[in-house]
Amino acid sequence: MNKRLLPGIVLLAVGAYFGFVVTLAAFSGINGLGLGIKSGLQATIAALCAILGALYFLTIDDVGDSTKPAAWLAGAGIVCFSIGSYIGLFVAPPEEYMGDVQRIMYVHVPSAWCALLAMTIAFACAVLFLFRNDWKWDARMEGSIEVGVVLAFLLCCQGAIWAKPTWGVWWDWDPRLTTTAVLLFAFLGILALRRFVDDPVKRGIWSAVATIIAYIDVPIVYFSVRWWNSLHQQQSSPGTVSKQFWLPLRANAFGILFLMTAFIMLRARISALRLKTELAPPPLAEAQLGEAV
Amino acid sequence: MTQGVVSGGWNFVIAAYGLTAAVLVIYGVTLITRLREARKRQ
Repeated sequence: MNKRLLPGIVLLAVGAYFGFVVTLAAFSGINGLGLGIKSGLQATIAALCAILGALYFLTIDDVGDSTKPAAWLAGAGIVCFSIGSYIGLFVAPPEEYMGDVQRIMYVHVPSAWCALLAMTIAFACAVLFLFRNDWKWDARMEGSIEVGVVLAFLLCCQGAIWAKPTWGVWWDWDPRLTTTAVLLFAFLGILALRRFVDDPVKRGIWSAVATIIAYIDVPIVYFSVRWWNSLHQQQSSPGTVSKQFWLPLRANAFGILFLMTAFIMLRARISALRLKTELAPPPLAEAQLGEAV
Repeated sequence: MTQGVVSGGWNFVIAAYGLTAAVLVIYGVTLITRLREARKRQ
């Protein structure tokens, strides 16, 4: 095994232990695996380790030819997402007031977390590209923006499907929904900008600056439910979500996080290959070739 | 919906899970296809 992968694997294993194994054990009636750590702190450790592990895999990835790490992450993502969805659909009990419709939470909330995380990664890549002038960060920025847009689109659609039976409408111009739509279209606009600019230097700088500006909306989306009177409920925490709902929520969060990381790695490769062609010096004309000889 | 409690709604749940799975699978497939095309162009 490649030694460079070890820290990432350890981080993901710790995240999976506190986020998944302890919850699965508690779900099966086995207690005491939490090492005496409070459930809120366990969730924080799990989330931090999972995010740091995924980011570690992203940063050690050389955006080269091998797609093995991405394939492994995608495989792990499919397994976690399948387990989480099965438990969410068939094992977890329905919620007291929303009934079975609440099961949408197990895909909606992880999509929201991962969409905001993908855009945070895009922001970090934009800053690193501007300061380091390394094209790897430009490729990763494009990858994370596109994956963030896909997840934000999914988030809006899932939200609309959940809103209809609970609020009575598919869409409402509520602060959370409006700021999320603004975020989706802002990052979609950056993707359009990247498509229309042919010069890779201008494209990289302009889109990095635009990403930093658009990122201002991410904390606004997150805090919108606290700052304004919103129809959308406030953020959930282990204290506000019933223990019976933890396992499917966390399994799906891990699943979508792994898939998101794998997608960014693959998408960054596509951008890197395009950049390689664009930045390669033009082939010498026959006359120039003769002179050179 | 009666007295603040939502009853039924499995069709919405199936739609949300189906859409999520479909979008993730389709996006994954397009990524693999685009990567293969980009490699061929090299």
